[in-house]
Amino acid sequence: MTDILTPRERFGLLVIDEKPDRCNTIPLITSHAASVRGMKLRDYYTNGENMARAQIAAIEKYGHDAISIFSEVGIIAEAMGTEFDYPENDLPIQRIPALEKKDINDIEIPVPTSDARLPVYLEAIEYAYDALGDRVPILAYIPAPFTTGMMLSEPNRFLIQTIKEPDHVKAVMEKSLAAAIELCYHAIDAGGLPIIVDPLASSSVISPRAYRQYALPYERKLVDFLHRYDLDVILHICGDTTPILDLLKETHADLISIDRVDLTDTIKKLSSTVRVIGNYDTSLLAFSSPEEIASGVRDMVKLSMQAPKGYIAATGCEVPIHAPFDNVMAFINAAKENGWYWD
Amino acid sequence: MQLIGYACSYIPVEILSATGLRPYRLLHGEISLSKRGEKVVRIDACPMIKSNLAYVLENQDRFAALVGSTGCDMSRRMFDILSEHIKIPVYVVNNPRTDKPEIYSDEIDWLVKQLEYFSQKKFTNEIIRDEIGKWERIRAALRAMDQKRAACPSLTSTTEFHNAMACYHTGSCENEVTFSENASEKARVYILGSAITYEANHILQMIESNLRIVGDFNCGLSRPLHIQIEEENIEGIKKAYYNQPPCLYKRPHQKYYEFLQSEITRLDCTGVIAWTLDYCDVHEFELQRIEKVLNLPLLRIRSDFSYQSNSQLRTRIEAFAEMLCSRT
Amino acid sequence: MLKNIDPQKISLKEWSRQFRLLDDSEIRRFKYYNNDEWGIYLSPPATFMVYGARELRKLKLDNSLAALRLWGFALNESERLFRARQSGKHIIATMGDLGTVPVIAMAFPDCIPFYPDCTWWTPFFNESTVLLDKASELGTPEASCFVRSTLAAFHKMAYFPKPDILFASTGASCDDYSCIMQMVEDMGFELNWLEIPFRRKKQDHFTDEKYARTPQGLDYPERFETYLINEYKHVWQRMQDLTNDGDPEKLGESIKKNNRLRRLVDQIKALTHGAKIAPFPALEMMVIEFGNLYGYADIDEWIDILEMVKSKIIDRVKSGNGVLDSDAIPLAWITPTADPLLLNIVEDLGGRVVATEYVINQALSEIEEDIDPFRALARSFMNASLIGSTEERIRHISAGVDSGRIAGVIITNMLGCSHCAMETRAIEKRLKNVPILAIDIPAPLGITEQIRTRIAAFIEMLK
Repeated sequence: MTDILTPRERFGLLVIDEKPDRCNTIPLITSHAASVRGMKLRDYYTNGENMARAQIAAIEKYGHDAISIFSEVGIIAEAMGTEFDYPENDLPIQRIPALEKKDINDIEIPVPTSDARLPVYLEAIEYAYDALGDRVPILAYIPAPFTTGMMLSEPNRFLIQTIKEPDHVKAVMEKSLAAAIELCYHAIDAGGLPIIVDPLASSSVISPRAYRQYALPYERKLVDFLHRYDLDVILHICGDTTPILDLLKETHADLISIDRVDLTDTIKKLSSTVRVIGNYDTSLLAFSSPEEIASGVRDMVKLSMQAPKGYIAATGCEVPIHAPFDNVMAFINAAKENGWYWD
Repeated sequence: MQLIGYACSYIPVEILSATGLRPYRLLHGEISLSKRGEKVVRIDACPMIKSNLAYVLENQDRFAALVGSTGCDMSRRMFDILSEHIKIPVYVVNNPRTDKPEIYSDEIDWLVKQLEYFSQKKFTNEIIRDEIGKWERIRAALRAMDQKRAACPSLTSTTEFHNAMACYHTGSCENEVTFSENASEKARVYILGSAITYEANHILQMIESNLRIVGDFNCGLSRPLHIQIEEENIEGIKKAYYNQPPCLYKRPHQKYYEFLQSEITRLDCTGVIAWTLDYCDVHEFELQRIEKVLNLPLLRIRSDFSYQSNSQLRTRIEAFAEMLCSRT
Repeated sequence: MLKNIDPQKISLKEWSRQFRLLDDSEIRRFKYYNNDEWGIYLSPPATFMVYGARELRKLKLDNSLAALRLWGFALNESERLFRARQSGKHIIATMGDLGTVPVIAMAFPDCIPFYPDCTWWTPFFNESTVLLDKASELGTPEASCFVRSTLAAFHKMAYFPKPDILFASTGASCDDYSCIMQMVEDMGFELNWLEIPFRRKKQDHFTDEKYARTPQGLDYPERFETYLINEYKHVWQRMQDLTNDGDPEKLGESIKKNNRLRRLVDQIKALTHGAKIAPFPALEMMVIEFGNLYGYADIDEWIDILEMVKSKIIDRVKSGNGVLDSDAIPLAWITPTADPLLLNIVEDLGGRVVATEYVINQALSEIEEDIDPFRALARSFMNASLIGSTEERIRHISAGVDSGRIAGVIITNMLGCSHCAMETRAIEKRLKNVPILAIDIPAPLGITEQIRTRIAAFIEMLK
């Protein structure tokens, strides 16, 4: 089958509850794009033009349906004071969390056009939008408040604080929310559609109770901010979210991206009200053969095509940086071939 | 004799001729005329329309009246422009694009009334009968020539046929139709598309030096020969003209395609030449469909009447002819 | 919110800043089809930019809440049409006639007429050749009107839902679009063709032809009314077949509603064009004029928006405020620009649009309410811009020139468009007492410094 629609048109139909020519195919190709472009990772995440060029190279190679402007979830925390190391061939590594140096009340809301690497992201969005924005959606990954909160802190201490110092955690959440809103605001003006990512709110990391208490309310506030724009909001949480599957609806997100969760169960629980995104196992993407991937993706897509509110074929998490190109291609081709809606 | 200019296959020559004027179809198309037409329209007007505009403006003393139709948008607007520039009566007939014989009938009645008033002459049944007789005789002679052209092998060329048809279109057909027989075994092709203008004979020559055109659907060639008036009165004229094989601009257009298909089968053509003029929307938009429906090798010739690409065109025609030969 | 701000045209980023000040309740106040779930449309330009309308980054838009409503509503139309279908309404494609068939369609319950033709703006708003490239692939010539993007939209079915019924008007209309409609039919869509007669201008040498005159003063052969009436009755019949409904009184009501819209637009135009300082920008005014075609698929909401616009304009006129300088050069604009940016540029360089001829005169004229409705529609259509002579088309512009109200004229053309090719010189000849600038609209992203310089020089010369 030959595509009839551009990715932009395809995504546009999905979000107004219309079936496009075939299902949107958006594996989370983030820093993997640097490999496609043959670029050192540090060059990717410290330079907006490089990041965009790598993403464009990936789209040209694979023909998937969205550009993903993203490298790692510490970006807002960094702009709020957390220090990172920039290894040449790896993603930034947290060195000193901001809250180890300062009180939350002393941390300022960052200015996305000037602070830390936030301008890199904005430049990447703008560059990609200029190049392909008429035909491909530009997804701007925004770390959710809980994830940023944890990146501002020493992780273990932060988890304990969720139990012992709720007021402190809430203060961190409020500030992280304000920072996320600020970044969203600028990302939108640059042409990006914000996708909220909250990997550290996963049930692999925190309990459903902590999720309900600290992560969910701020995810919801961020989603509600974006709904003021009438944007269709994607929420992605990595890992196992089975225990909070029912709660995800309460975030008000329009599209929910899942990782290590049973897809049948997810569709049953969520897909009458939200569009489901997911959830091919990224370790399989890295280590299986193209044939095995094609077969797995076919089964996944066939199952998910029935989701009443629509479905995006995706990986459960980021495509591994060094995933074999043939494997990624196998994923995309299989999703396209098996995801056809139109006669 | 002064001329009554007209510009559409749906305008009956019999009625024009009844005025006592010589019907002269505006079918000019030549590069210098076309350039001169750009004094009154933009460069992106159809080169035949531009040529016709220049021709009429430069020869206005020869014309006593003009009759146009709503056939194509540019042609209709050509008469609007002419009526702004010259002081002779201009009549534009609503030629419906959809199947509305009643509109056509009303409009021909209107035209008759206007031309009677203009010529101060009643178009009696006798006059109309005479005109029908005269034009039917000419068409019959031309049909005979057309049959020779269509014969297998083809016995006369379209280059020659075009000259004969030019006499019909310019109303200068007092003399008998004469032509030479010139049998050809070259590949048989059909030509369609925009009008073949008076000055475009050299294009036909160029084509026929490698191929033989045995049928056509272009203004300027055999289209009037499909008109056969059975009732010798105005009603008969209307019926015959209205029911001729339809122009491509008629909506919907399936009858046009049905006609083409049947003609191409009848004439045993192995290829098609699509002749289109720059900015002739009606034909340019249809080329892809024409190729698909006819399912024969198609050579597209697009022209603004300039000569600069003639050698390239000659090569293309030769290649096309060679390809057709190799297929047979 | 946004009540006490000085009128001006602002950029997308400035709009985003302003939008943050709006209360949620304000955003949720306005909705189409009165639907709370998906009917909200008050979004800033950035929203539509994120979804692909890239030219919004360059356009400067009026800073009023009324203008925000106007843009949100107009740019949201594609979604609205899909929502209409999802909620069980009939989608009626009315092509080519620009203004009359929708009045009939609106007389039927839950019927939403729209013009696929309006897709011609999409490549420009999106700064994209996606639709034009697809149209070329489907067989349209490169040198033809940008309305060819409509063909691609039919192929893709991502810009409007599959219509339940299609009406296509041909005859004395532009050839490009007639060809496109034919190609749409060839794709497998069933078209109902309507014949548009040529408005033959009365001539001294004619005899025995009874002419009638439209309320707007255009003469036409009286019998042509009958042709149109028959065509409109055919539309009525087809609509009845579709809906199993058809109350003739409703046609009268639809005419009244459309007249309300037309009067409102007439008042807005008069206020804007007549004010000492332009109270509303030319680009928004073009959107307003074209809304007359079908109310952007929710005529009630559109009328409500225009009431708000009108009241904003009245406020501005009263207070002597506006969006342009008081010495802006008054210009007439003939043929709408496919690229909206051009209207911005002309204003930025010191021009001001005070008269327009956007080929939709038939949609601007009031429909008579005291005669048979089908006849009223026929007589209304007889005002159409493109079915008659050039002289008639620009008569009101000529009058504006003669009265000294118009200092210059801008004509926007499209390469290969049949009426542009034939009319531009004729317009220049007719309006020889006023400077004219004719601009060929380039493909998306094609507005160059050269075009800006030509406009700047033209306006400078008029100063």
